[in-house]
Parts: sequence; structure tokens; C-alpha cells
Amino acid sequence: MALRSPIRRRRDGTYTVDLGPAERELLVAMCDQLRDLLVGGDPALVRLFPTPYGDDAERNEGYAALVVPELTERRLAALETVRSTAQATQLTADELAAWMRSVNDVRLVLGTVLDVEESGLPDGASEEDRERYATYEYLGMVLELIVRAMAK
Amino acid sequence: MEVREPETGVEGDLELPWVVIVWNDPINLMSYVTLVLQQLFGYSKEKATQLMMQVHHEGKAVVSGGSRSEAERDVFRLHEHGLWATMQQD
Repeated sequence: MALRSPIRRRRDGTYTVDLGPAERELLVAMCDQLRDLLVGGDPALVRLFPTPYGDDAERNEGYAALVVPELTERRLAALETVRSTAQATQLTADELAAWMRSVNDVRLVLGTVLDVEESGLPDGASEEDRERYATYEYLGMVLELIVRAMAK
Repeated sequence: MEVREPETGVEGDLELPWVVIVWNDPINLMSYVTLVLQQLFGYSKEKATQLMMQVHHEGKAVVSGGSRSEAERDVFRLHEHGLWATMQQD
């Protein structure tokens, strides 16, 4: 019999989440770090807020002024959902969607800081970066489990 | 009767359709991009997979289009999900 995924859809449309305490602790820690970056602002957030209008500086500035604050609020709300449901073994579809976006956001920031390429970590990375890359890879696995559970 | 302004003017520009483009990046998982395109646009798994593969192999793909406000809404939702999206008049 195939092993059941630790994240799986239930008949009632909610999701079972079988993650261990250490995994949940890591998830919360990474989400807290991202929240601090979002509140304080940081160049590592660049992939979370792409400029939508190519080289049209005026429209890009308008987007940064009007839309980025709302995007930031949405991200903070999703992180708060992860925090408040971090110990839950059963999540609604909306809660799992918040987990999915938050895990992806953390990966985007980690991947930006580590300058990852399609092939992985650049050559000559420090020990610290290799440890962060392990977290990046782990979150990729969690994201893959969430995607598989949610995909129709 | 609808009066159309010349397309060289600001009014004309508003009439031109916009396209929303998703660009390749080395971080987002292929399965995640496919699921987001399905969820946001209601695309079938086949169509979403095809668009994702186009992004992956050609570097970008047009994923939706319409009026400026429709394109802005789509870009917002794509950015909310961490995809690298831009919009331009076609």
C-alpha cells in the first residue's frame, strides 16, 4: 500500500495536515521572519512585488503607491493565518491556500537571497547558505505536498 | 452610436487590449505555477500545463488579456501568488 501524503484532502473538503512539531516550528519561524521583512521593508522582497508595466516608470510608481500596500496586507494576513493554524491537524481550503502562498513567499525570498538558479545553489556557497538552501528545499517539498493535495 | 477616438490619443490607448504575461523564474515550482493558473483563470489542467511549459521553455507566456482594469486585476492576483507577471498593450 502506498504511503499516504501527510497533507491530503478529506471527503468534507477540508485537509488533513500530518506534520511534526519541528516542522511546524520551522514553518512558524520562517513566516515570522518574512513578516518582519514585510513590516520593515527589505530589498530581498523584490520578487514578491514585481513592477508590472515594463519600463513605464510613472505607471510602476503608481502601482507601488496604490497596489503594493494592499499586496503587503494580503501577505501579512496569510502569514497570520499560518501562525494561528500552525498546530492544526485539519485545515479549511482557505487556510491551506494561505499556507501555500506563505510557503511560496518564503521560498521566493530565500531563493532571492541565495541567488538560486534552475540548477540549484551557485558554486562556492558558504556553509550558512547551504543550510538556508536546505530549508528552501524542505519548503519546496511542503509546497509540492500542498499543491498535490489541492490539485484537482 | 459609439464614437471612437483616434488611437494616437489617450482615449484611443484605453481602447487597445492589454495582455498579461508571466515570466520564467528559477524559484517557482512548475506544479505550483500550473495550479495557480488553474485556480485564478479556471483553465483546465491541460491548458494551464501548456502555458506553464511555455513559460519554462520560452521564458514567458501570455496568460490572459482584456481591458486595462481586467489586466490589472489579473496582475494583482498573480503577484499575490508570487508569480512574476507584467502587463502591456498588445
